[in-house]
Amino acid sequence: MDVVFEQYFDFGIMRDEFGFVLDGFWQTLQLSLIAGALSLMWGLVLALLRQLPGKRFAPVRGLTIAYVDAFRGVPLLLVILIISGSAPFVAEGLGLPRSVGIPQWFGKTDPFWYGTLAITLTYGAYMAEVYRAGIEGVPRGQMEAARALGMSHGRAMRHVIVPQAVRRVIPPLLNDFIALMKDTSLVGVIALLEVVEAGQTVQAETLNSSALTLGALMFLVVTLPLARIVDRYIAREQGRFQRGLAT
Amino acid sequence: MSEPVLELHGVHKRFGTLEVLRGIDLTVPKGSVVCVLGPSGSGKSTLLRCINLLEPPDEGRIVIEGKEITGGGGGDDLDYVRRRVGMVFQQFNLFPHKSALENVRLAQEKVLGRSREEATAKAHELLARVGLSDKADEYPDRLSGGQQQRVAIARALAMDPYVMLFDEVTSALDPELIKEVLDVMRELAAEGMTMIVVTHEIGFARDVANDVVFMDEGVIVEEGPVRRVIDAPREERTKRFLGLVLGH
Repeated sequence: MDVVFEQYFDFGIMRDEFGFVLDGFWQTLQLSLIAGALSLMWGLVLALLRQLPGKRFAPVRGLTIAYVDAFRGVPLLLVILIISGSAPFVAEGLGLPRSVGIPQWFGKTDPFWYGTLAITLTYGAYMAEVYRAGIEGVPRGQMEAARALGMSHGRAMRHVIVPQAVRRVIPPLLNDFIALMKDTSLVGVIALLEVVEAGQTVQAETLNSSALTLGALMFLVVTLPLARIVDRYIAREQGRFQRGLAT
Repeated sequence: MSEPVLELHGVHKRFGTLEVLRGIDLTVPKGSVVCVLGPSGSGKSTLLRCINLLEPPDEGRIVIEGKEITGGGGGDDLDYVRRRVGMVFQQFNLFPHKSALENVRLAQEKVLGRSREEATAKAHELLARVGLSDKADEYPDRLSGGQQQRVAIARALAMDPYVMLFDEVTSALDPELIKEVLDVMRELAAEGMTMIVVTHEIGFARDVANDVVFMDEGVIVEEGPVRRVIDAPREERTKRFLGLVLGH
């Protein structure tokens, strides 16, 4: 048993490498928050494009559906590799500035931004589907009432439909955010020193996995409360719904 | 009667192969109240939804205040039309994330561009008119069906419509709540609002309507002054329907 304990919970290694692993986790957190915020926005844009009415916008709807299907259907790792391996050449070929092809904005390295882009493109597609479920779950009469008051489709979406839809989809969006946060570890393969990559570096040096265990604990410090928040939110909404039925 | 507010000429509407409206001609003079009666599936609701272009007609012309709104008129025109035609729905369709006051205020600000103060004042005035001054800050889920429907009427009136359309507005209400809504509509009619009312409330039609339109299978079977159509119908189908609803 001591072997097991030492392999995963060597407090000496944990203490010595704590700063190193925490630096990695700080990268993970920043990447999660930035890519998460961008995914939330991009997903909403995609969902709204998909809801544009009329024959005129049929091509836009078709392209949006194709995009969402494509990015939900390929591995994030593959998207990360494609972007990081091609962005510098594509940007140069298109005559774009070097800072676009090899972005190092706000003191972050280019793998950080390649990862941000890949995650946003992929999770935007997932979140678009979540928003879509929310928008389509708003009763038809809401759009009709808004239109009957003379609101354009866009105004009705903004003031009537989306506010109701977002409320319904906060729990699944938070679940997607938890998944996104875990998937940021994939950006480790293009040499971003995030928490998993940091843990693995220590593992390779010490032949001991305690630094990775430490990384796991750091994840749990964030993801467990998030999961609880989702549960409480769902319970609260359900309570409200049942009260609504009672009256 | 004065000049027409609303004219329909040969309006057709199809859903797939089902022809719901099969050539509707109707003229509504300013300040008159027209009640539309008919069995379910006769096209009454579709007729109202065509008038504010929630369902654009497939054929025919609709003219509001001398302006044709059918054919080509899309985009901005469409929204212009809709805000001059108020509509109240069977299911109320209040915005559940907004208070009664905000429901009445929203489109005034976002569509008519009224200031917050102006829209708020107008909303308070209209809520008072439908007898709900004390409920301004309540959310729809705290209001009874009758109260919600009165807020919905205030919300439509806030846009200063030329015509108000009522689509079976008391059908989803408990019996004891119907009167408060009909009373608001009676008052509105007395003040000279032009109204088209799809209803099963024959008593209301008898008291308030100038004209009655009886529809069946997508056509107007019979129309005319209320006393004549309800008390002395000429058409067999009208007689049968009235016999059923009045229990003769």
